[in-house]
Amino acid sequence: MSEMTSSSAGEPRGHAIDISAIERAAEDRTLDDETVALTVKDLKLYYGEKEALHGIDMVIPQKRVTAFIGPSGCGKSTLLRCFNRMNDLVDSCRIEGEIRLENMNIYQKGIDVADLRRRVGMVFQKPNPFPKSIYENVAYGLRIQGINKKRVLDETVEWALKSAALWEEVKDRLNDSALGLSGGQQQRLVIARTVAVKPEVLLLDEPASALDPLSTLKIEELIHTLKNEYTIVIVTHNMQQAARVSDYTAFMYMGDLIEFGSTNQLFTNPASKQTEDYITGRYG
Amino acid sequence: MSANSNGNHISQQFDTELQEVKDHVLVMGGMAEKLVIDSAQALVNGDTSLAETVREAEQNVDRLQVTIDEECTRVIAKRQPTASDLRLIVAVTKIVGDLERIGDEAEKIAKITQQLAEEGQSPRGYIEVRHISQHVSKMLHDALDAFARLDTDMALAVMREDKSVDAEYKTATRSLMTFMMEDTRNISSVLNVMWVLRALERIGDHARNISEHIIYMVKGKDVRHASLQETKEILEDNK
Amino acid sequence: MRISVREWTAKGDPYVWMNAGAVAVSLVMVIGLLALIAGRGLAHFWPHAILEADYLNQDGKSMLLIGEQVEVESVPADQLRSGGVEVPPGVNFMDRWLIKTGNRDVLGADFRWFLADNIRNIRYPEGLMTLERREWGDFKGYLLEVKEGDTTVASGEAAWDEFLVRLDRALDLYDQIHSIEKTEIGSINYTIERMRLRERKLELEGEKTPQAMADIEAIRAEENAKYENLQQDLIDLYAQINRDKIVARAMNGDEVEIELSKIVRAFRPNAMGIGDKIGHYFSKIWEFVSDEPREANTEGGIFPAIYGTVLMVIVMSVLVTPLGVVAAVYLREYATQGTLTRIIRIAVNNLAGVPSIVYGVFGLGFFIYFLGANIDDAFYQEALPSPTFGTPGLMWASITLAILTLPVVIVATEEGLARIPRSVREGSLALGATKAETLWRVVIPMASPAMMTGVILAIARAAGEVAPLMLVGVVKLAPSLPLDGNYPYLHLDQKFMHLGFHIYDVGFQSPNVEAARPLVYATALLLVIVIALLNLFAVGIRNHLREKYKALEM
Repeated sequence: MSEMTSSSAGEPRGHAIDISAIERAAEDRTLDDETVALTVKDLKLYYGEKEALHGIDMVIPQKRVTAFIGPSGCGKSTLLRCFNRMNDLVDSCRIEGEIRLENMNIYQKGIDVADLRRRVGMVFQKPNPFPKSIYENVAYGLRIQGINKKRVLDETVEWALKSAALWEEVKDRLNDSALGLSGGQQQRLVIARTVAVKPEVLLLDEPASALDPLSTLKIEELIHTLKNEYTIVIVTHNMQQAARVSDYTAFMYMGDLIEFGSTNQLFTNPASKQTEDYITGRYG
Repeated sequence: MSANSNGNHISQQFDTELQEVKDHVLVMGGMAEKLVIDSAQALVNGDTSLAETVREAEQNVDRLQVTIDEECTRVIAKRQPTASDLRLIVAVTKIVGDLERIGDEAEKIAKITQQLAEEGQSPRGYIEVRHISQHVSKMLHDALDAFARLDTDMALAVMREDKSVDAEYKTATRSLMTFMMEDTRNISSVLNVMWVLRALERIGDHARNISEHIIYMVKGKDVRHASLQETKEILEDNK
Repeated sequence: MRISVREWTAKGDPYVWMNAGAVAVSLVMVIGLLALIAGRGLAHFWPHAILEADYLNQDGKSMLLIGEQVEVESVPADQLRSGGVEVPPGVNFMDRWLIKTGNRDVLGADFRWFLADNIRNIRYPEGLMTLERREWGDFKGYLLEVKEGDTTVASGEAAWDEFLVRLDRALDLYDQIHSIEKTEIGSINYTIERMRLRERKLELEGEKTPQAMADIEAIRAEENAKYENLQQDLIDLYAQINRDKIVARAMNGDEVEIELSKIVRAFRPNAMGIGDKIGHYFSKIWEFVSDEPREANTEGGIFPAIYGTVLMVIVMSVLVTPLGVVAAVYLREYATQGTLTRIIRIAVNNLAGVPSIVYGVFGLGFFIYFLGANIDDAFYQEALPSPTFGTPGLMWASITLAILTLPVVIVATEEGLARIPRSVREGSLALGATKAETLWRVVIPMASPAMMTGVILAIARAAGEVAPLMLVGVVKLAPSLPLDGNYPYLHLDQKFMHLGFHIYDVGFQSPNVEAARPLVYATALLLVIVIALLNLFAVGIRNHLREKYKALEM
């Protein structure tokens, strides 16, 4: 506040002020300016005989937040789960096309899926901490990798909890059960757990849908700070949330990618009629 | 939660966005204020080059209006602001409109300055112009201060000032009218000065409007159609 | 206020009453069951008063009657008449009393019926005593004198106190003798037997070198020397314990000499105050749970049976838990769900419905006669022809019950695994864990309460099972405990005693049914308590796990 007062009380600001800087800052970024983290090429996904994704083409920009929105069953979660091959767990699921992570097709034969999932971490809709202590939850991914040195674990746990903005709340009870935390804290713990293995990409599958509004805002703020370090892809059924947290938004409908562009543009002036209908609530 | 506590949003990004919008409004206000002072000075001194500068600078005010409106649209689309945040955004879009109109009025004065330079100076009215222009630029400055400080008392003072500007404008027009009746050859040039006075009076009205928006923004009460006394009572009730 | 039946029905009241009634009936049955066995069983240990009375015999002669009243019964007069008892005409029913007279050695039976009408002059003299003896059951009568060798030490009133002092000494000595015979000599015998087997083994393997034989002989000589010493001690102790005896008069007037070494406990119930009686009561109960049985299981305690039951259940749990869990994990997590797994599941569930005796037959035929015999051939050649594992024993009994209870554990574990939320598994996989890592680090710990539920059900079923055990390892009287101080401590090949079988044996195979009946109730009560304790223990573990891994309820 004081900054503003001092700037207004002085001499009237003259014509010398260069407003083009203000204009440039307000100008929209476009996908062409971004570094690419993930490339999706003609991705088709089948559940048994049914085609659930009809040839998706898109790029996920690096160190940005990309949101997938769309009505239930549009395939947004399915697409998200393709990025770390979570769909492999579904027996009847079959995939065509490719997804490239740094020029590596993750659906190539001989890919170490466990290693891929370490590089592409995922946070789920419901907070799913393990029934272990807070410390052990965060250390889980490291222990899986065979890291058991106490000093390394301690440092990483602290760093990860700080990254997830949870350190201050839990530092005195690291050995308490993670199940004693509130829903929002649990979800941040899960994010800390995922961050602890230092992934390149963070996939968030409706991370705040089971949380109260305040916890939701905290998670969103966390996403905003995490995007400095990670490429983030978030699926949400809450359009406002997508508008709030994301830089780019993809609108999906019935297994097709309808529109993909900057969030500012998509939410103020969508190119497609279908997008417009959906985000204005005329969908139905 | 009052409007001046917007530093505590959980989303710091939201805070940043709101702060930027406010800062840009103040930048734009400063530019408009400078336009008013410069245009009046150009007229009084018959400085056509300064008038030209004013006309060019007015473009910047227009562009800034578009940018700020765009920013407001985005905040609404992305953040769904509520309560004080919503009033801030609504007030800002209106204030920005008033500031743009002030810029327009200033440009009008600059244009008249150029005309007068071609057609010959008016024999009377410059003292009134200088006086009223100082008065309204002070009002505008105070209104912007009130915006920056969320100071409703100052906004109310600006609204009060508008009354005296109106009175001064009336006095000035009456004396210029008398002058025109006395010497009909000067009608054309004096009429131009009358237009300038009229523009300055309009700037005063816009400053008053801005003050009303500030009161709405801070207190959530619409005082656009209330008398000064009523406004004062509303503010006191809400203390 | 009148309420029509229709309205009453419509409100659903009858169903509430019906449900409440069913619960009430169940509750009454459980409480009734417990009350019956507790009442009948626990009353046995109370020191009942001994009555003395004159009894008019059939021949018109009066005789002295000493004993405890056990039961009163009303008998039709006709039945008595046909038994040759003279009953006055016009009488249709007559009461008769069952009196525990004891003194089987003198009178020929412990219990006798007496017609209530012919019992006269009932009195409770304080001088009457009961002696619990190691043989021949109780003695009831009057103490006359205490003798050391052939000299009388005390008689009359002073005799009782002197007797008690000397009895304490005799019991002390008895304990020493028992400890030497059972523990120390038992251990020596065990070592000597091992040496014999080692020699035989060397012989069979053709490695009977003089060097090895010398070792064996050295150990044998050492053990024999120890044995000689103990034998000497024993002779001394026996000489001391046989020093004292008493002279007592039974109800038929016979004067009997009883050696103190034969007496376990002596008391005069009529002279005891309530405090003494309570003390006596608890010491009897303690004897019951902590001592070995005497006199064909009708006297003494049932400690070996409790011990055998608990040990068998524990060994069974240790066997069934990993087996059931691994099977369930495979069925639920790894096997492709299809017709085959469905058939396996049906088969597993049906196993639970097979009558337990069938498992006993299977255990005997497959485990003992086939597996056991082969194990003996392969590893215990030296002991043949006497079988080691080719005969019923603790291990086979535990394995048979493990198979019997396996379906319960499998089903419960599968249920538990199915309840683990998918999100938790995915959470682990998403962190780069493999399926096996996810299973062992997250899923199985979370399913552990369900596994414990399975084990609890298994314990409840196994502890109460008797029929198959009779075929595969339980005996009426086991010579030694299956877990003791002799290497290798846990003797899986030994036969053992079991509470359930003990009830059957005491109640229905005993030579002295009247004496054994209260013991049947007491043993049944104890079986219930043992099973309840085992269950509580398992429930405690489960609740602890549940608290630790409480499911993500959201």
